[in-house]
Amino acid sequence: MVKRAGYAAIVLFLFLVPLFIRGQYYLHILIVVGVNVILASSLRILTTTGQFSLGHAGFMAIGAYTSALLTMKLNLSFWVSLPLGGIASGLLALIIGYPFVRVKRAYFAMLTLFTGEVIRLVITEWREFTGGSTGLLDIPPPNALIIPGLLSIGFTSKESYYYLVLALVLMTLLFFYRVERTRILASFLAIQQDDSVAESVGIDTTGSKVLALCVGCFFAGIAGSFYAHYILVLSPGSFMVLQSIYVMVYVIVGGRRSFSGPIWGALILTFIPEVFRGLKEYQPFIFSGILFVIIFCLPTGLAGLPYLAGVFIRKLGRESGGVT
Amino acid sequence: MEGRAVALLEIKKLTKHFGGLSAVQSLDMDVNEGEIVGLIGPNGAGKTTVFNIITGFLKPTEGQIIFEQTDITAQKPHLLAERGIARTFQTTAFLPDFTVLQNVSVSCHLHPKIAFWGAIFNTSTYRKKEKGALDLGMEILRLIGLDFMKDDFPKNMPHGHQKLLTISMALATNPKLLLLDEPVSGMSEAEVTGAIALIKRIRSRGTTVVVVEHNMTAVMELCDRLIVLNFGRKIAEGPPEEIRENRDVIEAYLGVDEDATLT
Repeated sequence: MVKRAGYAAIVLFLFLVPLFIRGQYYLHILIVVGVNVILASSLRILTTTGQFSLGHAGFMAIGAYTSALLTMKLNLSFWVSLPLGGIASGLLALIIGYPFVRVKRAYFAMLTLFTGEVIRLVITEWREFTGGSTGLLDIPPPNALIIPGLLSIGFTSKESYYYLVLALVLMTLLFFYRVERTRILASFLAIQQDDSVAESVGIDTTGSKVLALCVGCFFAGIAGSFYAHYILVLSPGSFMVLQSIYVMVYVIVGGRRSFSGPIWGALILTFIPEVFRGLKEYQPFIFSGILFVIIFCLPTGLAGLPYLAGVFIRKLGRESGGVT
Repeated sequence: MEGRAVALLEIKKLTKHFGGLSAVQSLDMDVNEGEIVGLIGPNGAGKTTVFNIITGFLKPTEGQIIFEQTDITAQKPHLLAERGIARTFQTTAFLPDFTVLQNVSVSCHLHPKIAFWGAIFNTSTYRKKEKGALDLGMEILRLIGLDFMKDDFPKNMPHGHQKLLTISMALATNPKLLLLDEPVSGMSEAEVTGAIALIKRIRSRGTTVVVVEHNMTAVMELCDRLIVLNFGRKIAEGPPEEIRENRDVIEAYLGVDEDATLT
């Protein structure tokens, strides 16, 4: 009950944020945080089955380009092309999933890394369709949401995009929260710990791994689709390997063992480069520095901090209790 | 065959080659419902390979596995688990990051469709099934006698208890046939006695058991029937008392009695 009230308070606060924030720039960062939260959370669900994808930016690109092209060439509404972007990405994951999950860990990561790169190269070379390295320009913004006679929300201001991404983030997190609280996650974690044992007690390990990959890539596609209609231009340069690695860093720094980990990781690591804007070109160095510190000092990630702090305080308490 | 009940598990002409090495050669064996069958033999005789083939972890080179009159050769392990064939591993394999109860309840599997969409939308069917899985998990832990450690992590438990946990996990899949790979290895004498009683109790609940085991005292006491393998071939089959006296078996374990042939 208290927990529910806490969540409600956080959501309410997030809805009120634009009222406090002066300046479009900070709203822009918050919108990017939203996209990164979706990416990081969706990547984390993959890691719970013991698979590490380094191709997440590629799957995001699938969603982005699918949605952008559908609205530009077929004049589809954004509200139709948004889920279609996610589905396209999820479908690709389904197709490559079955052969890919035959290999594990580092080998799986390599396959996804190459997949991401192949996607980017195809987009770069397929000029007449994707605009090549110049990319797509003039992507239409989301169609206005109109409820006749009541209201009409156009997507012209940063505030409206903020609410849109907030809604997407909340839906994504709600989905993953359900996964987290149920036996779906339990069976994913069982697979991560020991494939053979999981299989022997009746868990479809191949199917579950593919499912995790599909779900993860679906949400990456959704994030990409939103991104395309927010930035309004797309080029393959936005989907380099480094982007995939950043998403992985968000997950690890935040803590991949907990649901809130990727959220913290995406939030903090999106803000850090903005705070030190002068150091933008050193971002990879800063990120790898942070990653090293986290791996050595805080293997459970930032999300593990409260627990460790609790242990520390209890230890202090016990020691002082022992003296008196 | 004068109206004899059909065997629960039939293995026909099972052969498995690893490269040039033949681990199992043309093995025929039956397991009847309600039996405890011991599969014994010296190291490298192919016992674990037979287990791996029955449970789908390995594909046989030749031969058939028939379970409840259905050909189940080379099916996927999780489908076989659903069908009612459960196993434990020689290596005492459990899920180290889960508590004892989590280990057991994750093994109580649900129908996959209910498990996914039901879980996402939190339907009442799903909640009921999930509750059922937890209750079943607790019931099994009580049967095995591990319920007092349900919230412990298995890696902190003594070896004997870990072995019992792996049996609990296999039982949680509600098996008709339970394959135990060295269930009492590394146990103390008292623990072995307990484990034997437990396996007999599992049988009396209606589960047929096949055991691979090196502890001969345990095997003799536990099993109704023994099948002896050596170099992938069946060299003897029969009740424990008979096998104990069987010359081929003694030779396989102890080597040929040189003195006897010399004099």
